[in-house]
Amino acid sequence: MKLTAQDITLIGLMVAVIEVCKLFMKDIPNIELTTFWIMMFTLYFGKRILFVIPAFILIEGMMFGFGMWWIMYLYLWPLLALVTWLFRKVNSVWTWATIAGLFGLLFGFFGAIPYIVTSGIYGAFSWWVHGIPWDIVHGIGNFVIMMVLYRPIRHVMNRVNNMLIA
Amino acid sequence: MKNKKIWGAGLLVVLIAAFAIVYGVFREKPVEGSKEITIEVVNQAEESEVYELKTDAEFLRQAMEEAEGLEFFGEESEYGMMVEVVNGESAVFDKDGAYWSFMVNGELCNNGIDTQPVEDGDEFQIVYTEAE
Repeated sequence: MKLTAQDITLIGLMVAVIEVCKLFMKDIPNIELTTFWIMMFTLYFGKRILFVIPAFILIEGMMFGFGMWWIMYLYLWPLLALVTWLFRKVNSVWTWATIAGLFGLLFGFFGAIPYIVTSGIYGAFSWWVHGIPWDIVHGIGNFVIMMVLYRPIRHVMNRVNNMLIA
Repeated sequence: MKNKKIWGAGLLVVLIAAFAIVYGVFREKPVEGSKEITIEVVNQAEESEVYELKTDAEFLRQAMEEAEGLEFFGEESEYGMMVEVVNGESAVFDKDGAYWSFMVNGELCNNGIDTQPVEDGDEFQIVYTEAE
């Protein structure tokens, strides 16, 4: 994939939007806009997301340290982009809110995978169970955020896309 | 369209209920009563200090707070306190390239100090650990 100057600018802007929103909301546990933005950017800017996610993950690691959570990021965010891309022809806010909600709800479940290696099955299971209340908050938060923001942001994204094409 | 709404919201509600049941059944449950435990702190110089105490604490954090002479603090997070400083010695991953690892009876704790249950006879270790 050959990148133009416009692509590189867009990628930088997308990473900046994700990081700024993440830092802005860091004091509200498990309520985040990263899921929402990665889904919207995948829908509207397609393959450019392949550069956005690695940049975002790398920046997170450099800011907060390359801990176990960082290993989860390596596969969880790309998985979200992949699922979004597979459903890209769907235009129902309910479907997107459900996918966002499921992602938040299952974040801990799939995030426990690295703990199988370090702590065994029981350790991973215990880690997941301990975080279930926060996964529920994450899932509900993602669902509500998508329900509230999908339509207005989609409107803005359509305008941006039209400008880019023009 | 209406079906999609019902399926989407319904699936989430069912999963949340299922997860809540799993949490209720399998979460670590605290033990109540008088317990004799030890908390050993091993610092960077590998010097050891042992605190023996009788406690009714249900979780490790409360027991640590009760241990006379043991001082600690850290950053509060969604998983409880992330201990950064023990007895004046800092082990912050980003700054020091190290962390405090918590062990119970020779094995790494699966929980943070706010949710690590305390049982009679437990031997806890708080060890200064350099990141690899």
